[in-house]
Amino acid sequence: MLATVAFLLPTLFWDGSADSADLLRKAGIQKLDVPPGREEAWRKLGFDASAFDRAGAAQATAPRVEYHMDVASATRVPWVDANGWQFERRPQNAYFYDAPAGAAALAAAEAFAYGVHAAIHAVPEDLPVLARMLNFLERIGQPALPVRANIGVIDDGSDAMGEVLNLMARHNLLFQVIPAVDPRYDVIVRPGEDISDPYQFAMQVRRRLTDPKRLVRIYGSNVVLVRLTGDGSRTRVHLLNYGGAAVQGLRVRVRGSFQHATLSAFAHPKADLQDYTSDDEATEFTVPELDTYAVIDLTTR
Amino acid sequence: MHRRKFLQMAAAAPAGVPLGLAATDHKLPEYRVVSRYPAAEKPGMPGAYPGQVVSVHAEKCIDTASDAPDAAVVSEMMSRGMRSLTGGKDHRDAWAQFVTPSDVVGIKVNCSGAPGIMSSPAVVAEIVRNLMEVGVPPDAIWIYERFQEQVDSVHYDRHLPRGIHIWTAEHRRGSTESYDPATYVETTFFDEDDTRSNLIRLVGGRFTKIINVPNMKDHGAAGVTGCLKNIAYGSFSNVARSHSGTVTNTYSFIGTLAAVEPLRSRTVLQVMDGLRGVWHGGPFLFNRRYRFYPKRIMIGTDPVAIDRLLIDIIDEKRKAENAVSVWDRSEKYLAGSDAHRNNPNANEFVREPGHIEYAAHLGLGVYDIDKIKVTRLEV
Repeated sequence: MLATVAFLLPTLFWDGSADSADLLRKAGIQKLDVPPGREEAWRKLGFDASAFDRAGAAQATAPRVEYHMDVASATRVPWVDANGWQFERRPQNAYFYDAPAGAAALAAAEAFAYGVHAAIHAVPEDLPVLARMLNFLERIGQPALPVRANIGVIDDGSDAMGEVLNLMARHNLLFQVIPAVDPRYDVIVRPGEDISDPYQFAMQVRRRLTDPKRLVRIYGSNVVLVRLTGDGSRTRVHLLNYGGAAVQGLRVRVRGSFQHATLSAFAHPKADLQDYTSDDEATEFTVPELDTYAVIDLTTR
Repeated sequence: MHRRKFLQMAAAAPAGVPLGLAATDHKLPEYRVVSRYPAAEKPGMPGAYPGQVVSVHAEKCIDTASDAPDAAVVSEMMSRGMRSLTGGKDHRDAWAQFVTPSDVVGIKVNCSGAPGIMSSPAVVAEIVRNLMEVGVPPDAIWIYERFQEQVDSVHYDRHLPRGIHIWTAEHRRGSTESYDPATYVETTFFDEDDTRSNLIRLVGGRFTKIINVPNMKDHGAAGVTGCLKNIAYGSFSNVARSHSGTVTNTYSFIGTLAAVEPLRSRTVLQVMDGLRGVWHGGPFLFNRRYRFYPKRIMIGTDPVAIDRLLIDIIDEKRKAENAVSVWDRSEKYLAGSDAHRNNPNANEFVREPGHIEYAAHLGLGVYDIDKIKVTRLEV
């Protein structure tokens, strides 16, 4: 039995003084993680506060994209800082984000998509958008569905393998860390393979898998990462946009035939999928505008 | 919802490509072409006049001191060129061979070098004037290009009648909403994530005819950029992925894109605007010293034949400027993009002017210079 993704809502980590209570209320924040020993004071102010040991948590990278100039082609190559690969590697950890301005909502969506326990330290100006994101996540919920992946990785725990996982996640090569060879995966990555060049190895895995077999593909952005969960009749596609600007017209291909689809897009409550097609092989649709995060729920009937 | 797919797999080389053309230097990618549009009985490329080019020169078509075209001279060049190509008794009769009043016409301009070089408003306005004389209403005429900021710098609106659409696919670079998700070429060049290049929706969804208006330009990757590159890379998304490092796949990608239906069938006329030209650094104009004035318009329906002539025009100019030939594949000239901008003997990529011959083998036109009939006119 495959483990299902947990419905865990991330929480704002707040180490401000009680004077900031109005700021939180105005933003719409009710639930807090606070440094140990301060939870009672916040509860007295009417907040749902829990103690969170920041130092004891695993540190998550601030999610974002950086553009590096590719001198040879005079184009800007996006470098995505994302945590999905770590979450997949160690889902049981509690994670702490120290999110700079503009990163808190994406951090919340990222942790939610992977079903990990996370606390997010946000700057005051990000509180309203973080609150809106948390409300959005609570509203869409998390169906108890197992992770779907093409690639099973028997992780040796090494830094090099960590970089392979990072690069596979970066290129939407869906993987899951597994304890032993499992025939349900199209490709198995075993310890002892030559991963001295992690990028080349990740691309080699892509070629072993082949693009037509990939459970999900996206077209129209190179800064959107995908997470997929599902069972025989239902599939949920999580789309995380690290680019900092909305993506217009993101095309998604999901293997399998799905007759119905529902889009839930943060910041675009009335958006509908466009150009929907489905045949025996795959289902395709366009997300007209992807802000920070969206999920698409697909069903076979 | 199922859709019809016309799949074209080019695993090694397309049918008809001689081994010598595809071998050694060029490892051809595998292309998967998806389109629901069938070819016309007689596709627009190479069209009604394969292997024929009318080349009209006019010394007074542009004032090189002020860089200002002379609209009256341009009009005469177009009129004589069109009549010569078609044998029409007058220019209206000539244009009526390509469009009818019920057509919706896309005019594919080239603005990648704007504002220093682009499909001249004078040439575009003359095309529009002729379309309207045939009876095409203004709201059925669409000037189109991919990038908004490039077109903004040209101000076509100042030269055109009201009601003409001036349209771009990407108001913001990278947005894909204006491209057709069901018409695309899929391939992997350099392990890129996004492996599709989609056709602009209007090409299949609205236009019934397309007129292609490229410039006479050198190109750092393709060798030259003329009819084929303008209609191909200018009508599809996500094409810059074909270059990486010093390698470019323009050799096979340009022709492959240009041959996709309905682009191939609906592109019925080529008007190469050579009032100005760029002999180095194209498709952009980094430095005005690389601009020159061929003072020429080439007209035809065969993009390969026109581009074949373009190679010689650019290469002769480069030779006169002591610049390395567009055919030179030597590694010693590879020096990165900054050097390429500043030095006519520095290449950014191994150039691929062979893309024109490759396109000929896809059936897009006549490449053999001995088989191209050139009619030269002087205005």
